Amino acid sequence: MIDVEQIRKSFNGTRALDGFTLHVGAGELFGLVGPNGAGKTTLMKTLSTLLPIDSGTAQIGGLSVTAQAREVKRLIGYLPDQPGVYQDMSVREFLEFFADAFQLTGPRNRAAVERALERSGLAERSRDAVEQLSFGMKQRLVLAKTLLHDPKVLLLDEPATGLDPIARIELRAQLKELQAEGITILISSHILSDLEDICTQIALIGEGRNARDTEGHSVIQLRAPQARVRIYEIELLGDSVPAVNILKSVAGARLLESGVGRLLVEITGADEQVVALLRALVLGGADVLRFEHRALDLEARYRLAFQGRRP
Amino acid sequence: MNPMIRKELRQRMRERRGWLLPSLYLVVLGAVVTFAYFVTTADRGRSNIQGSTVGVALFLTLAYSQLALLLLLVPIFSAGSITIEKEQRTLAGLLTSLLTSAQIWWGKFVSSLLFVLLLLVTSLPVLSMAFAFGGIGPWEIFSATVTTVLILGCMSAIGLYCSSAFQRSVHATAVSYATVIAITVVTTIVFFVRISIYESAHHLTTRGWYDIPLNIRAPMYVNPFFFLTASFAPPKQLYPAWITCAGVFIALGALAVALTLRNLRRRGDL
Repeated sequence: MIDVEQIRKSFNGTRALDGFTLHVGAGELFGLVGPNGAGKTTLMKTLSTLLPIDSGTAQIGGLSVTAQAREVKRLIGYLPDQPGVYQDMSVREFLEFFADAFQLTGPRNRAAVERALERSGLAERSRDAVEQLSFGMKQRLVLAKTLLHDPKVLLLDEPATGLDPIARIELRAQLKELQAEGITILISSHILSDLEDICTQIALIGEGRNARDTEGHSVIQLRAPQARVRIYEIELLGDSVPAVNILKSVAGARLLESGVGRLLVEITGADEQVVALLRALVLGGADVLRFEHRALDLEARYRLAFQGRRP
Repeated sequence: MNPMIRKELRQRMRERRGWLLPSLYLVVLGAVVTFAYFVTTADRGRSNIQGSTVGVALFLTLAYSQLALLLLLVPIFSAGSITIEKEQRTLAGLLTSLLTSAQIWWGKFVSSLLFVLLLLVTSLPVLSMAFAFGGIGPWEIFSATVTTVLILGCMSAIGLYCSSAFQRSVHATAVSYATVIAITVVTTIVFFVRISIYESAHHLTTRGWYDIPLNIRAPMYVNPFFFLTASFAPPKQLYPAWITCAGVFIALGALAVALTLRNLRRRGDL
């Protein structure tokens, strides 16, 4: 549904996107993570037709976001990182205006507004001025506005920023509902636990390019763990330096982190490789207290992918 | 109806300035006309004063002071029009809707110009005072009004361009006012400096407008007050001065529109 191939975009000579590639299937809830300045917002803006691209291709539903921008706008709903509202309008007026802006007329307009009011939970406050709403309510209103024209693809740039925990839980639930309705969602966020909860896959972006985690993946499959590369946490009695030296001689083993009496090791290959590593450590004289497979959470994988790259 | 126009008018009329500015405008205009009346009648003897003389004096005072006031007000309505969307971060929502850049521009333009035209219409009762004295015909009213609307339309378009080019309303308004000053005050100063240099260099006194070389006259064709003055000519004498001014103002306005649309289409840094 979303196909980005080798996309490049520069601002005054600075590359914001530098050959980024992304493929999101229909109906997926796809995450996008990376440090500040990685190019997430630029990517969202190019996909939402706000920014032209320098080179590469970007398509949504098979339509080019540059050459067929108007058709793409019918397909997408875009929620910017800091969405604005018209404070002096009432909630209903705000929704009616955007329903008009999406060329919904007559009964379709009224139905879309009523559905948006119901969806946002703001039906009882439809006559209130937008400025009287809390931040979380405004965010719900803007998301409801984004859904007025029944988009097939949602582009959400940091939608949870500034929301309190309850509002974040509600947002996650709403996004799961939207995915269940068949809407494809691309969401960028710094709140990794939220993404981990709702996303099926997460793309890593750094310095405008596809970043890779320690296992070499630029897209993390959250619901289908990779089998061939595994992470093991090893606890040792005493100094870990001898164990580190032993590790270097074991094929397929790579040290990710080392601390006092603790190692984090990546093992590539079959189970025999794991056994070989443990055997080498024990025979080499390392006092192994614990040797445990560790399924890394998103936060750990993010940290390993981006540590040392912070701008 | 363009949804932008409905939205803009609704928002503008809700603002305090929606009723405050027309009120202040009428008060100032009324004061100017009253002052002009007393100045016109005070110097002349009670018996010699002609009604038509007073009528013409009041009309001219009203036409020029109205233009001056409206030129001061146009940037307030136009220059903040797009920047406010950037400041409150709503422009992205507009640009990703099915509204075209032209529709967004047209909505902003119509709403800012309509408000200025509202002021023009509210001044009609004051203008009718000039009618009461005679000396002014429908043609003068018509041509002065058309000229004023043309000038205000062009200035609104320039204000909207400033609004599209800057991120902050305060910057767009400042540049918009600088433009008003440049085309009114600066062109006048340039003209008078150059004409005095020309006259002293050639030891002559120019009597007619067309005795002045075109390169010295040229800056005045972008001067709104000269344009208004040209509109007081009889219909058959509108060419070349009025027609040239109209062409210049329409061209400036069209250029501003084109640049504004280009800015709206290019702006992703919202």
